Amino acid sequence: MGALDRLRIADFSWVGAGPRATKDLADNGAEVIKIESRRRLDLGRRSPPFAKGDAKNPDASAFFAQTNTSKKSVTINLGDPRGAEIAKRLVAWSDVVVENFGPGYMERIGLGYPELCRVNPDVILASVSVAGRTGPMAGFRGYGNSAAAHSGHAAMSGWPGSEPHMPPFAYGDVVAPMFLTVAVLAALEHRDRTGKGLHVDVSQIEPMAHVIADLFAAPPAEKPANSDARMAPHGVYPCAGEDRWIAIAVEDERQWTALCDIIGGAHLVEDRRFATMGARKTNEAALDAEISALTATQDRVTLAKRLTTAGVPASPVLDGKDLAESEALKSAGHFVEVDHPVLGPSAMPAPPMRMEATPHAVGPSPCLGQHNAEVFGGILGMSAEDIATLERDGVLA
Amino acid sequence: MNLLEGTRVVVIADGLTDLGGAMLAKLGADVTLFSETYKRGAAARLAWHHDMRPSADGETLESLLDSADILLDGRRCGGTHDDARDGRPALIHIVANVDNDRTLPATDLTLMAASGLMTVIGEPDRPPLRLPGEQAYALTGIQVATAALMGLRARRLTGEGQRIDVSATQSATLANYREAIMYDWTGRIGRRQGNKLVRGASGVRQVWPCADGFVTWSMIDNPAMMRALISVMADHNAAGELADIDWDAILVADTDQAVIDRWQGIVADFFAAHTKAELGAWSLDRGWGLSTISTLDEVRDSDHLAAREFWQDVPDGKGGTNRLPGPLFQCHAPPSEGTT
Repeated sequence: MGALDRLRIADFSWVGAGPRATKDLADNGAEVIKIESRRRLDLGRRSPPFAKGDAKNPDASAFFAQTNTSKKSVTINLGDPRGAEIAKRLVAWSDVVVENFGPGYMERIGLGYPELCRVNPDVILASVSVAGRTGPMAGFRGYGNSAAAHSGHAAMSGWPGSEPHMPPFAYGDVVAPMFLTVAVLAALEHRDRTGKGLHVDVSQIEPMAHVIADLFAAPPAEKPANSDARMAPHGVYPCAGEDRWIAIAVEDERQWTALCDIIGGAHLVEDRRFATMGARKTNEAALDAEISALTATQDRVTLAKRLTTAGVPASPVLDGKDLAESEALKSAGHFVEVDHPVLGPSAMPAPPMRMEATPHAVGPSPCLGQHNAEVFGGILGMSAEDIATLERDGVLA
Repeated sequence: MNLLEGTRVVVIADGLTDLGGAMLAKLGADVTLFSETYKRGAAARLAWHHDMRPSADGETLESLLDSADILLDGRRCGGTHDDARDGRPALIHIVANVDNDRTLPATDLTLMAASGLMTVIGEPDRPPLRLPGEQAYALTGIQVATAALMGLRARRLTGEGQRIDVSATQSATLANYREAIMYDWTGRIGRRQGNKLVRGASGVRQVWPCADGFVTWSMIDNPAMMRALISVMADHNAAGELADIDWDAILVADTDQAVIDRWQGIVADFFAAHTKAELGAWSLDRGWGLSTISTLDEVRDSDHLAAREFWQDVPDGKGGTNRLPGPLFQCHAPPSEGTT
């Protein structure tokens, strides 16, 4: 049994911010039906990398596959009034409706919250967008990095004295869906106790501000980069090899002594500039230079093992290859092998938790419209003839 | 927000559980901070613990657990309460650790290093960087809150609580949705590119100076967005050769880098001549996809966030208040009812 068995989700969301939340729910047992259309293909299906480089195959995107595990897919042309009516029947079936369309789209196709409540009075509608559904920026059209800009992340990213920094991934598309998952589960708890549905409205900007609440509590004068307000050493140091680094953080004097011993810096323990945490913080630049000189010739993995064994927090700075080949992540169940009809056996990310009584189970992402017959015939009770007619007419497409 | 009203939570805070406890409190749960094994500065404690009730003198973990629904048990700094569910079968015991099977020493920085994210953050000629704040702890904290809510949902199905182990290593690594899969399928290993967004054969800028700060915008293959921007540039006689390009007929990702750089120079001159307020208003109105880059002070002064009642004035313990993030999201009741 999964934690969310018997939970039904009608998932109108696409690309990243909505689908990552419904993946969490589907991997834990919820029945998630992804409503898609061949006429307005989920941009996630067009996102690289592709199996065999086949960008034209809507089922070949590995990006889509890892974002949509354990779901079902149906195709409905929501622009056709008959399609919208069929979508409403899925709303009536569902506990939760998820969407991340542009502002006003759900209303334009007749699926605004009041209409959903008319169809299913205790339904939970979960929306996620860059700026939320209310406020002066409610109509803002952006992307995941927009939230980094509007939340203070971009301004606080990068090296001190440099311009704001935008990493090459959309952190807002990571944090906001996690908040959406929390919002859905909290709304379900509320409904279980009150019998009442809700519309939960997640803005990508707000979760991004929440996760730097400590910076809002005490705004630093400069970007902190890798430094810590208290700890020193606390940084990333070069190791042997091209672009090879180790992260080291020292929380107390015992760890400091162990670090010096292991990296061959016994003389540093005696150096008055580094005698206490406060002194090390004051002389951080000199400290980092001393440590860098000692780590630069060492193997990052071996050094990290020696340090952690001695109780010093350390890790090699890993890259994509390291992650993909990590035996530790595989054995922890972080990547599980899932067989997919187009991608073949593929490593897919699993929830980062182990539930003793209700374990998760990660299944393959669906091919486009793979579950049309099962959902339209089985759940909605439509005849095979009606389904065929509507497919021919481009309504179920 | 009272979605979890009546739910009782006990927190052992160690960095990994703090945000999880804070989120459950903001959802209306009664959250007691039993202990802090990770001693933070006053500001960080204010940020993460302001909605929690400190345990009272004489309250023991045992006594708190007797009436609790959920224990958030942070183990980064050690400690063990494996017997927490003995005699309390309904308790949901969330154990947050560095990973599930090992107990390696770790901090936010080393967890971020292990996530693979730092390799792609920062400048090519400088060391890898982490994200601002303590994002590995934050990511774990959100998973801790998720695990607690999953546990509540499962308890409604089974009638019993359970133990749920949350891995900080996996929580941080899960945020890296791009690098492992890119290597798996293409053999490419991502490296730091500064503020350049590399797609296909070329790279485009992401951060641009304007008259009073910075904005983010990228010249990507979105013809409607390009036309919307160039229309305004043309109104200001600033579009140059961009006005003559058929954006439906070209792919920026396949365009020669020198040509892109020339085009970006025209855009840079336009952005540099206008303020964040002007550019932001045009973007909102015309759909450019441009965002103004706000400082922390500007975020706190945002009209938009004020309208959404996002901020919460929290007593700072010195007779003043500190303005901190408030609700996690907005809730709207069904049309016939008020706001929840």
